[in-house]
Amino acid sequence: MNSNPQLDLHPDADSLNAFAEQAVGKAEREQILAHMTRCSRCRQVIYLAQKAAEAETPATQPALPSRGWRWGWRFAWVPAAALAAALALVVTLHLRHNAPALEMAKVVQQSQQAASAPVPLEQASAGAALKPASPVATNSAAGNAKFTTLRRLPEELALETASSAALPAAPGSGAYSLGENNAAPTTSVQSEQIQTQRQSPAQFNPEPAVDAWQQRQRMTGALSASANTTQVSQETMNTAMDRAPAGQSVPAFAAVSHTAKQAAPTASFTIRTQETVAGLAASHNADPHVLPSGLAAISTVTEQQRILAIDLAGALFLSEDAGKHWELVAQQWTGRAVKVRVQAGAGGAVFQLTNISGFSWTSVDGRTWTVQ
Amino acid sequence: MGITTSQPVEESAVTGIDAVPKAAQLPVQLNQLLNELWRESGAAAYGLKQEEFIRILLRVGAAQNYGLAAEATVSQRQQAGFLRGLRLADLVLAKACAGGHEGAWEHFIAVYRQPLFRAATAITGSETLGRELADQLYAELYGLKAREGVRRSPLDSYRGKGSLMGWLRTTLAQRHVDHHRRTRRELPLDNLAEGHEPPAANSKPGKLPAELLLLAKAVLEALEKIETVERFLLAAYYIDGRTLLEIAPVLHVHEATVSRKLHRLVDGIRKQIVKNLLEYGLNKQAVQEMLGADPRDLDLNLKKILQVSLTDAFEEKAAL
Repeated sequence: MNSNPQLDLHPDADSLNAFAEQAVGKAEREQILAHMTRCSRCRQVIYLAQKAAEAETPATQPALPSRGWRWGWRFAWVPAAALAAALALVVTLHLRHNAPALEMAKVVQQSQQAASAPVPLEQASAGAALKPASPVATNSAAGNAKFTTLRRLPEELALETASSAALPAAPGSGAYSLGENNAAPTTSVQSEQIQTQRQSPAQFNPEPAVDAWQQRQRMTGALSASANTTQVSQETMNTAMDRAPAGQSVPAFAAVSHTAKQAAPTASFTIRTQETVAGLAASHNADPHVLPSGLAAISTVTEQQRILAIDLAGALFLSEDAGKHWELVAQQWTGRAVKVRVQAGAGGAVFQLTNISGFSWTSVDGRTWTVQ
Repeated sequence: MGITTSQPVEESAVTGIDAVPKAAQLPVQLNQLLNELWRESGAAAYGLKQEEFIRILLRVGAAQNYGLAAEATVSQRQQAGFLRGLRLADLVLAKACAGGHEGAWEHFIAVYRQPLFRAATAITGSETLGRELADQLYAELYGLKAREGVRRSPLDSYRGKGSLMGWLRTTLAQRHVDHHRRTRRELPLDNLAEGHEPPAANSKPGKLPAELLLLAKAVLEALEKIETVERFLLAAYYIDGRTLLEIAPVLHVHEATVSRKLHRLVDGIRKQIVKNLLEYGLNKQAVQEMLGADPRDLDLNLKKILQVSLTDAFEEKAAL
């Protein structure tokens, strides 16, 4: 009656048990499975043996003590903690992301005050690269370049300063020696820059918000065109310096051509050149002075024997003897001081200090400051 | 206990394998391994001599070609791996019991009697039937059955691949299924209940329309292409009516995996049927109409189709 031809050929109990306990090789397993596919008897045997094993298991296993409802949720803590951490990170990043946006609004307002028409930064940067003679574009590019200057190490600051000044530096003499050479007043490069400045009536106004915005751009890899140009030019200059033999100045025409190619630095050093025009031997760039704080100076200004310097921490130091002795000036301004400069006033030189928010304070002696 | 246990039997007579090399003929490394296994197994406690133990192991290995295909050549490393994978303690106990060792039987009863009874109860679903089934197996294990004048114990067929308890459960299940099938065959035809399988295979319907013949052909070809595991899945789920929870342990996967596999399988078969029909020259509309046909109109016995494997038949005969 039964047409199944396999009834008399079955794996023995040992093989079926080994199959159920996964104790057979792959080939034998396939063979047994193939047999079970067509043999309902062996399938039934396996199911029943399995049922018996399951019935045996609770009888032999000791009862586990009750662990309470929290035990069932013990593995949920891990993803919950990870989720909370991720949420905290997102909130932090979001807050950081939103904070500079307010500064951007402020920057636009200041730009409107300083210049006649606001220009988007990237557009301005591109414009600066293409049309360096345009006043608005030059000013914006100057902001970009200045940003680069502010955020770099003192060595880079010194090198960038040297890119717009005379380049008598010997190769390998270091950034600080270059910075000292910046004090040399008149070179062909400086006169070139003065000419550029005269073409650009808009006064450079340091805008920290722009710095912050551009720093974000740099971090995200979207560095503006002008910043790239500055960097490339600086590297070119470094190469030129390295090629120059020891004790020999770099020819002036090299510096001129470099400055002509570099639109942003041309505008970024307008303050210094303006001071030069006013007859003040002043420099607010990176300085080789080692300040009492042990930190490098990010902004220095010199008026005869008097030097004012701001270190990386924002502390202001004053020297009356051309840097031989320093004294710390008590803070009379808000925020972190980032820039100091000197202007020619009616009664003599007036120092101006700018904090990171862009507010300014003035002082005649460098010790007493009043808000502007 | 009033039961005479079976006497030790001639090994070659049990297995039919005469060409088991003696210990002195073995390679040194294999001989060392066998000696080491003999010490680990505790065979001496049941009076099993070292030579006898080695012969048992070599016979078990040779009977299965050390777990490899029949025609494969076995290296010493493969031999060692196979021998180390055996359940030596269980194997020694089974062989000692089959050999009639009193101490081995005492140990066997102490360890396995209650679990065996529980397993039989679980298999039969009745304590009375379970006790009856367990006692019957005990009688067989003692070697009450004799063949050619020699008592034989089913324990002699245990080869140590799986656990001895698992082997006992499987043997119980085999006994129960065989008993059930025998007694079912003895039922008069009038008493066949609704759930019993009707003799559908021999029914000869009238001549089918050409479309249905094409559909039947497409179904047959689609089913022929599925793999062994898938065939097993279909048989277990649709023919045996097993649940996913029951099927999963057999395939050593989670029941959710079984469910996914089943869905995928059914979808795949349906697509294959459509593909076959399109290849026969039918258009899509005709195929869709054809798939709406009543399956009862088809001359197909899916049980038969599924249970005919394309792979080689399992050649090993039941041990008993």
